[in-house]
Amino acid sequence: MVSFAKFVRAAVWACALLLLIVAAPAPVGAQQVNPTASAVKERQLLQELNRIQGRVSIPDQRSGVLEQPQGREWREFHNVTLRWIGGVAIIGMLAVLVIFYLTRGMVRLESGRSGRTIVRFNTYERFVHWMTATCFIILAISGLNITFGRPLLLPLIGFEAFSEWSLWAKYAHNYLSFPFTIGVVLILLMWIGGNIPNKVDVEWMKRGGGIVGHDHPPAYRFNAGQKAIYWIVVIGGGFVAASGYVLMFPFYTTGIEGMQLAQIVHSIVAVLFVAAMIAHIYIGTIGMEGAFEAMGSGEVDVNWAREHHSLWLDEQMARTGPNDGQPQPATAAAE
Amino acid sequence: MARMKFLCDADRCIECNACVTACKNEHEVPWGINRRRVVTINDGKPGERSISMACMHCTDAPCAAVCPVNCFYTTADAVVLHSKDLCIGCGYCFYACPFGAPQYPKVGNFGSRGKMDKCTYCAGGPEADGSKEEYEKYGANRLAEGKLPLCAEMCSTKSLLAGDGEIIAQIYKERVMKRGYGSGAWGWKTAYRETIES
Amino acid sequence: MLIKRTHQHSPGHGSVVESLAGQAGGLDRRSFLRKSGLAGGALAALGALPVGSVRKAEAAMAGPLTAGATIRKNICTHCSVGCTVTAEVLNGVWIGQEPSWDSPINRGSHCAKGASVRELVHSERRLRYPMKLVNGQWTRVSWDTAINEIGDKLQAVREKSGPDSVYWLGSAKMTNEGAYLFRKLGAFWGTNNTDHQARICHSTTVTGVANTWGYGAMTNSYNDIRNAKTQVILGGNPAEAHPVSLQHLLEGKELQKANFIVIDPRLTRTAAHATEYVRMRPGTDIPVLYGMMWHILQNGWEDKEFIQQRVYGFDDIKKEVEKWPPEEVERVTGIPGEQLKRVAKMFATEKPATLIWAMGQTQKTVGTANVRASCIALLMTGNVGKAGAGANIFRGHDNVQGATDVGLDIVTLPFYYGLAEGAWKHWSRVWEVDYDFLKSRFDSKQIMETPGIPLTRWFEAVTLPKDQVAQKDNVKAVFVQGHASNSITRIPESLNGLKALELLVIADPHPTTWASLSVEAGRKDGVYILPVATQFECKGSRVASNRSLQWGEQIVKPIFESKDDLEVIYLMAKKLGFADQMFKKIKVENNLPEAEDVLREMNRGSWSTGYCGQSPERLKAHMKNQAKFDMLSMRAPKDDPEVGGDYYGLPWPCWGSPEVKHPGTPLLYNTNLNVMDGGGTFRPRFGVEREEKLPDGTTRKVSLLADGSYSLGSGIQDGYPEFTLASLKKLGWDSELTEAEMAVINKINPANPDTVSWALDLSGGIQRVALAHGCVPYGNGKARMNAFGLPDPIPVHREPIYTPRVDLVAKYPTLPDAKQFRMPNIGFSVQKAAVEKGIAKQFPLILSSGRLVEYEGGGEETRTNPWLAELQQDMFIEINPADAAERGVKDGGWVWVTGAENNSRAKMKALVTERVGKGVAWMPFHFGGWLAGKDLRGNYPKGTDPIVLGESANTITTYGYDPATGMQEPKVTLCQIAAV
Repeated sequence: MVSFAKFVRAAVWACALLLLIVAAPAPVGAQQVNPTASAVKERQLLQELNRIQGRVSIPDQRSGVLEQPQGREWREFHNVTLRWIGGVAIIGMLAVLVIFYLTRGMVRLESGRSGRTIVRFNTYERFVHWMTATCFIILAISGLNITFGRPLLLPLIGFEAFSEWSLWAKYAHNYLSFPFTIGVVLILLMWIGGNIPNKVDVEWMKRGGGIVGHDHPPAYRFNAGQKAIYWIVVIGGGFVAASGYVLMFPFYTTGIEGMQLAQIVHSIVAVLFVAAMIAHIYIGTIGMEGAFEAMGSGEVDVNWAREHHSLWLDEQMARTGPNDGQPQPATAAAE
Repeated sequence: MARMKFLCDADRCIECNACVTACKNEHEVPWGINRRRVVTINDGKPGERSISMACMHCTDAPCAAVCPVNCFYTTADAVVLHSKDLCIGCGYCFYACPFGAPQYPKVGNFGSRGKMDKCTYCAGGPEADGSKEEYEKYGANRLAEGKLPLCAEMCSTKSLLAGDGEIIAQIYKERVMKRGYGSGAWGWKTAYRETIES
Repeated sequence: MLIKRTHQHSPGHGSVVESLAGQAGGLDRRSFLRKSGLAGGALAALGALPVGSVRKAEAAMAGPLTAGATIRKNICTHCSVGCTVTAEVLNGVWIGQEPSWDSPINRGSHCAKGASVRELVHSERRLRYPMKLVNGQWTRVSWDTAINEIGDKLQAVREKSGPDSVYWLGSAKMTNEGAYLFRKLGAFWGTNNTDHQARICHSTTVTGVANTWGYGAMTNSYNDIRNAKTQVILGGNPAEAHPVSLQHLLEGKELQKANFIVIDPRLTRTAAHATEYVRMRPGTDIPVLYGMMWHILQNGWEDKEFIQQRVYGFDDIKKEVEKWPPEEVERVTGIPGEQLKRVAKMFATEKPATLIWAMGQTQKTVGTANVRASCIALLMTGNVGKAGAGANIFRGHDNVQGATDVGLDIVTLPFYYGLAEGAWKHWSRVWEVDYDFLKSRFDSKQIMETPGIPLTRWFEAVTLPKDQVAQKDNVKAVFVQGHASNSITRIPESLNGLKALELLVIADPHPTTWASLSVEAGRKDGVYILPVATQFECKGSRVASNRSLQWGEQIVKPIFESKDDLEVIYLMAKKLGFADQMFKKIKVENNLPEAEDVLREMNRGSWSTGYCGQSPERLKAHMKNQAKFDMLSMRAPKDDPEVGGDYYGLPWPCWGSPEVKHPGTPLLYNTNLNVMDGGGTFRPRFGVEREEKLPDGTTRKVSLLADGSYSLGSGIQDGYPEFTLASLKKLGWDSELTEAEMAVINKINPANPDTVSWALDLSGGIQRVALAHGCVPYGNGKARMNAFGLPDPIPVHREPIYTPRVDLVAKYPTLPDAKQFRMPNIGFSVQKAAVEKGIAKQFPLILSSGRLVEYEGGGEETRTNPWLAELQQDMFIEINPADAAERGVKDGGWVWVTGAENNSRAKMKALVTERVGKGVAWMPFHFGGWLAGKDLRGNYPKGTDPIVLGESANTITTYGYDPATGMQEPKVTLCQIAAV
C-alpha cells in the first residue's frame, strides 16, 4: 500500500516536528527581526510536511489544519484501489465458489443419515450467530453501497431514490454496528475454547480438509477451516468495529489522517471479510449436506458429525450418548 | 468563461475574522458551523502568517469525486456546490477535502453527522436562485445578484480576493511585483494544480 | 452530474426568479467580472494596488428576498476608524449588510465586529424593558416608574450630599449630540463629575498632545498614512484594535516600500507584518523614545530648520536625552543599541515618518509623559504638519474623539473651553441661560471651576473617608449610560463601591458587569437598568479618529422598549426640573430632542475647536456623496455642487460658520496649505512669551510664537497670537466686520469688547476675517517640547508602580504622592511598599492587557453576539513557553492568575505562545461575568446574560494613576500564574 507508507512517513514527520518545537530555544530577544522577510511560505511548508497546521481561536481544533493534500491519495485509494480490491476479492470469491460447486458439487453425507441427531449449537449460540450474521449482511450491503453504489446502483434508480436508500443504509450501518460488535465479542468468548489451533489442525490442513476429494480428516468441535472463519470473524470483526467507531465518532480519537487510515483499514478488512463470509455461507448452505442444520435446528445427524467432527463426536458420546432421535431440550441455561 | 476562485494574500491577512462573521451574517450560519476560518501559521514567531480558508472550489474537486451519492455539482462559474437533499452526511468529503471545508451539524447521538454544509461561494444551491428554500438551506445567492462572496468583499485589508481566477491571479502577481514579496497563493497548487509565478 | 433544478415548484414567485435569472444569471454576471478586471488594471496603472475582490454591484439587483429593501447608512460602533455600515432594511427589519464601497475610509471593508453589527440590533439577549433590583431579584418596571423613582432618589441624594455626590458616567458610544447633552445634563445638575471612556483610553493623549501643540487629537488620518515612508507603531496593535486601518497601513507599506516598524512587548498580529520588530519591556516607552533621540542627535539627523522655526524648549530636551546613551537604554528597555539606531535612522531620515500609538502608551502612570515624548520625537525630526507624517493616534471607540471634543469630561466644558468663569459664561450665552442660574446649581463657584473626579476612581470617591474627597460629600449615586465597569482597574475594590452606593442606574443595551457585579457585591436593591438603543437605532454625528464627522441614519427603530440616548437624557432633565432651560434652543418631539438641532447648538458654541462649520446639512451631504471623495486626499472635486472642495467628514477644525464653507482640516498644523484649504499652524495656547531662568540667576523672555514659519498665503508672515477684536484693530482688519457681527461682539463683553476672541465671538466674524487674510484664528505659535505646567514638563522615565525591575526604582521613581482631581494619588507610597515587601519576587511576571479583534471594550455587547462569541469562547492569558514550562502550564489548560493587590485571583485558560517574551504575560480585557473563579451568570436578569463570560483582566490590575489625567495603569503590573 502506497498510502500506508505515506501515512507512516507523515506520522514520523509529525513527531519530528513536535520534537523540534519542544526543543526550540527560548524566544528571540531583541535582535534584528524582520517578520515580513522571514514570512512562512506555502511551498516550503508543503514540501517539509505535506500538511500545514496552525492556530485557530475556535474550539474546533481540527480546523487548525489549513491544508492536507494527502486527501488526494485517500481519494485515489477510495475511488480506484478499494474498488479493485473489493471487486477482485468478492467477485473472485464468488467465481471460485461457482467453479468449485460446478466441479465438486455439494459435499454429500457419504454414510447417509443415521436418523439420530446430536446437539451441536444450543439456542444461545444460534441466537448469537444469527444476530451477528444478520447484522453483518446488512452492514455488508450498506457498506458496499458506499463504495459501489454510485457506479452500480445510482444509474439504475436515480439520485433521489439512491440518496434515500443510502441515507437509510447509513443509519442501518451506524446503528447495527452495535449489535454486530456485541455479537463478535460474544462469539469470541463463547467459542474461543474450541478454536485454539492444535496438532489435529495440522493434519486436517495437510489433508485439505477433505473438501477436495472424499477424505474425512478427524476434527474436534471445530475443524481448522471453521477455526479460520472464527478467527477471521473475531480479528476482522475487531478491526472493522474499531476502525468503524473511529469514523463514527469523528475527531474523538484522531485527526483527519487517522480517519483516512481508519477508513482504509475498515474498507479493506470489510471487503475481505465479506469475501470470507461468502465462502462461509457457501459451505454452510449449498456447499455441504447437513451443515446448515447445525445453525438451523442446532442438531446435526450423528453420521454427519462422525464424518466431519469425529473427535468431537467421540467426546460427546463418551459424555452423554446420542439422542436416539429425541431432541434434547435446549441446554442454554446449563451452559 | 469566468472561473471563480479564492485567493488569500497572507501578506495582507491580519486574522481580523471579518470574512468569518460576514459569512455568518450573510447566510445566518449557525453556531458551530464554520464555513470559513482563519488559521495562523507560526503563531507568535517572526514570519507568522494568517490565512483565511474555506472551500476553494477545486478543479476536479475531491469531495465530488468521493461522494458516495454524487451530490456535488459544478456551476458554469466553476463553483462547487452540493445538494443537501441528496447528501447523507457520511463524512467522506471531509476525508478527501484538503482544506477542511465540509462542516456537519451534530445531529442526534454519537457524533453522527447531519447534512454537510460548506461555503457556497455565495452562490446558493440547486433550488431556484434567490428563493426562500435556497436561502434556508444554503444561504444567500449573491452571485445571482451580480455580487461576489461577502467574505472577500468585506475583507478588511483586501487580502481575501474572490472573482475570476485569471483576474485575481493578475492582481496578486502585480502586488507581489510591486512590493517584492509574497508567501504564495495559499492552496492554489492543491486546489487548482497551478501556482502564481511572480 | 447534477444540474440546477428548474423552479417549477415555486410558482408563487417564479416570475421574479426568472426575470432575475435572465438579468443576472447569464452573461451579465460574467461581463461584471470582466469589468472588475479592467478596474483592477486601471488602478494598477495609476500606481495604486488594485483592491482585488471589488466587483461593485452597480446595478444593485437585489434578489427576491431583498427586493424592495431600502438602504440606510450608519457608522460602525466598534472602533474609531469610522467604517460606514450599509444596511438593507425591509419592513422595519434589518435584513442584510452590504459592503460600503463608497466610503473613502473603509472602502467596503469591515473587521469581524463591523461585519456582524446587524446582530447587535437583532439580539435576543438585549435588555427589553427597564428593570429594578427588588430584594435581590430583577423586576420589570415601566419607564415612568423608573424615571420617577430614579429622579426622586437623585434629588434626595442632592439635598443631603450636594450635586457632586452624583456621578454622571457617559459614553464614547453616544453620538456627539448624546455626549454633548449628557455633559450639559451634568452642568445643569451642577457637577463636573461627568466623564466617559476617554479617561481610560486617551485622556493622557488629549492632555499630552494638546499641551504640546494645541489640540489633543490625531494630526493626520488613517488614509494619510499611505503617504508615509516610515511607519513606527509604538504602543498599538491596530491589526486587532483597528483592523480596517491596516488596509491603509499595509497598502502604504507596499506602495511606498515603507519601513513598517513595530515596537511592542508582544509580537502582535500587527508586528507579524513589520519590516522591523523590536521587543521592549512594558512600561519603558520614554527610554525607547529618548534612546532613538540620542542617536538622532548624535548623528545630526534632527530637522534643525523646523526646530528653529516651530519648536520651543529644544535645549531642555537635549539635556534629558543625554541621560539616555544606548547602554542605559538597553539596561532599562532590553533593546540593543544597534537596533534602536537603525530604527532612529529610518524614523529621522526616511521621511515622511509617522508615529502611531494607542493604549500601549496612554494607559500608564506616565501616559501623558509617554505621548509627550512621542510628540517630541516627531518635532525633533520635523515630522509634523505634513502628509505622511504626524502623530497618528488611534482612538478606541467610534465616538471617543467626539465625546471628548464635546466635553463629556471632568476638566472642561464642551470644546476644551475649560471650567473657568469665562468658559461658563461663554456656554451660558450659547445656551441662553443665566450664568447665575448655572452657578446656583453648584455647591459653590469654586467647585464649579474645579475638575471633577476621574471615572477610574469612582469607587474610591464612594469609599474613601469623607475628608479625603475634596467635595461636599462622597459619591452616593452613579448614573452610568454606556460604560462598562470591567474596563476599569481594581475590580475587587470596586465591589466595595458598588455595595456602598445609594443608587446605581445603568442605562445600556445590555445589563453589563455593573449589574452582575453589583449583585455579587451583595446589593439587594437600589439598582435600575434602563434599556438604551444602539446607535444603529438612532441618528446623529460621530467623529472618527481622523476628526471627520459622519452622520449616521437611523437604520431601524429602537427595539423592544429601548430608548434613544437623547430621549433618556431629556426624560431625566424633565424629571429633575430643568428641561425647559436645558432644551431652550433645541426642538423636542415626543420627549426626543432632535439630533440636528442639538448639532446646530454645538455649531453655535464650538468656535474654539472648529466644530462650527459642520452643519447637519453639510454632514448629510457628505454621506450622500461619499463616492466623490478621493481616497488618498479625502477631498471632493472643487466643482461639485454639494460638497465641492470639502474634505470628507469636514475634519475639525472646520472654521467659521457653515456659510464660510471651510473644507475641514485633514492634516493639523500643515503650513503647506492655505488655511482655507485645510492648512494650519501650531496653536499658541500657553502664552505669547515665557520668562526663562538662566543659570546665572537672571531671566530672559523667550517668544512662544512661530519664527519665520506660517501657513501658505498667510496675511501675517511670521508667528502671531490668537485673534481678538483688539488684534484685528491693530491690523486694521476690524473694519471688515459687519455691523451684525460687531453687535454680537459688543454684546459678549459690553465693558471691554476688545478682549473678545475668536473662540468667544458667537458671530464668527473674527474667524471669518482672519480666514479671509489666510490666518489661523488661534494664532501661529511654537510647539512645546517643554510643556511647562505639566507634572513632568520634560518627560522623565518613571518605573511602573509595580515593576519587576526594583533595581531601577531608586533611580526612576514615580512622582511623589499628591492630591489630584479631588483625591489623593498615593502611587509613590504604593510603589515604595511594593519594593519593600518584595512583591516582584512573589509576582514575577509582568502583566499587560489589550484588545482582541472580536470584542470591544468591556465586551458585553460583543460577547452577546454569537457570530463573534463563537470565535473567542474562553478568557485566556498568554504566557511564554519558557514561563509555562517552569510552571507546568499547558497550552489550553486552566490556570489561576494571582495579582499583587487584594489577594486577587482569576481562573482562565493558558495560551502558551511566543507572542509574549519571557517574563511577560498578557490578557484580553473584554471578558466579564466571572469573579475569582465563580461564574456570575445567575446575576444577570434572565435572558440577558452574554453568551460568553469569563474573568475580567481588571480583577488582577492594580493601583496607578497618571498625575495629569487620572489615567489608570492596566498595561503594566505584576502577576503570578499557576496551573490549576
